[in-house]
Amino acid sequence: MTSIDVQDFTKEYGTRRAVDHLSFRVLPGRVTGFLGPNGAGKSTTMRLVLGLDRPTSGSATIGGRAYATLHEPLHQVGALLDAQAAHGSRTGRDHLRTLAAGNRIPDRRVDELLEETGLASVARRRVRTYSLGMRQRLGIAGALLGDPEVVMLDEPSNGLDPEGIIWIRELLRRLAAEGRTILVSSHLMNETASFADHLVVLGRGRLLADTPMREFIHARVRPRVRIRTSDPTALKAVLARHGHDAEQHEDGHWTVHHARVDDIGRLMSSAGVPVLELAAVEGTLEQAYLDLTASEAEFAAHPSATQPQEA
Amino acid sequence: MSFAPVLRAEWLKIRTLRSLCGALLAVFAATTAFSAIAGVSETSDPEFDPLFMALSGVAPGQIAAISFGAMAVSSELHGGGLRLTFAAVPQRGRWFAAKVTAIAVPALLVGLLTAFVALVVARAGLGEAASGLTVEEQLRGVVGGGTYLMLMALFAAGLAALLRSGVATLSLLIPFILVVSFVIGDAAGTVTDFLPDRAGQVVLHQTYDGTLGPWSGLAVTALWTAAALLAGAWSVRRRDA
Repeated sequence: MTSIDVQDFTKEYGTRRAVDHLSFRVLPGRVTGFLGPNGAGKSTTMRLVLGLDRPTSGSATIGGRAYATLHEPLHQVGALLDAQAAHGSRTGRDHLRTLAAGNRIPDRRVDELLEETGLASVARRRVRTYSLGMRQRLGIAGALLGDPEVVMLDEPSNGLDPEGIIWIRELLRRLAAEGRTILVSSHLMNETASFADHLVVLGRGRLLADTPMREFIHARVRPRVRIRTSDPTALKAVLARHGHDAEQHEDGHWTVHHARVDDIGRLMSSAGVPVLELAAVEGTLEQAYLDLTASEAEFAAHPSATQPQEA
Repeated sequence: MSFAPVLRAEWLKIRTLRSLCGALLAVFAATTAFSAIAGVSETSDPEFDPLFMALSGVAPGQIAAISFGAMAVSSELHGGGLRLTFAAVPQRGRWFAAKVTAIAVPALLVGLLTAFVALVVARAGLGEAASGLTVEEQLRGVVGGGTYLMLMALFAAGLAALLRSGVATLSLLIPFILVVSFVIGDAAGTVTDFLPDRAGQVVLHQTYDGTLGPWSGLAVTALWTAAALLAGAWSVRRRDA
């Protein structure tokens, strides 16, 4: 089983603590969304896991081994840290070949990935002529070169067009379904909600949450019920009688806060209120995330301090 | 992880960058061009040294060699490129050794070819004036000149790794070679004889009378280069990518 284990990680830059006693595990077979505002330490953590930066204290292992001890690591771990890292003067294909060569990955695999990431037609063009979306695809191709068990992507949807976003979503789902360990950082909530099974949330270098996404949302966003009726007076009366807090919207529908659809449905039925529409309103990841960050006072004071290493 | 695939990757990186191939071509072009010009210049100077005259193109040519070495390293450094490299090859010492080899081998081969062609071209111009050169001296000039060009490329590569900047390396080395060594060099004290470029260029002379001979001079340059490479390797291994 190839999981990523981060144990008591701390990284200080001068006096600033970018990552603060962070511990979590990323398990295979699911997509783990890595959330947090800019400067929360997501990229720093990924670099520490890859052995690129030295931790001030703590350690990280992949499948029980430190990254630096891996033999031809691209076969085990693929990472996209920064789509701008490819040298602009090389062609996309040559860029991948230079990565592949050091890990004994044949050029055939390079061409396969260029095809898979939709870059085959521009493979022999210089990277500097690529759009941001094309560079992201090239970076993802680089991460998948060695058919790795563990994939770490830092903001992979950056600059992708709508087709690209759907493509990456399906790719991540497929990789997880194949039993791989997938860690994807993002600050786009709706995007993350579309592919993540599990969440690791950071704030100011500390772990704020490490839970399945559904649980994360349910724990933080109270359920609501959307209801539409032809008899608002009756509806209002019934809800008030049972102590429900309801809000009427301009288009005529009502939102009942902190209520479950089963309860409201039964209530309406027994009271004989004519119901035109009745639906449960699922909490969104965005709401849950904002709820979490609002409760972190530090965050509210510094919503997104710019951090150089996050660039 | 064995060395050969890493070396192959590093060689591929050099081959696939037009600027690096261009720098190697410039080593050849600048050296032979300046040697050719020297070949048709005045030869009546009493201090005239036909071997150094024929290989005088090495002095401008070394600028291109330095650029090659510095750029081969600095091409890794921009925009997180080094992270990409270390993610693929986490054994940093091995990576740096492969990088240095991938710089050294083409630099030496181009250097040897360059010095040989420069000598042939310049001799065609010098004619009788160069007839006093023995085969041994000419061989020393060519082997020494090629080795010198390689050592200067590696010296720059080591500095670029240490300073983490190709621009800083070039703005340090090029003025040093053009100005400091050139100007104070003629004031020929014993200390300046031990500067990396001064020491290594003794091998290009037919006659020499300083502290250093041709091979000991080259050895001094090699020591400078080794020091720069060790410092570069230390920086590569120690610092965050």
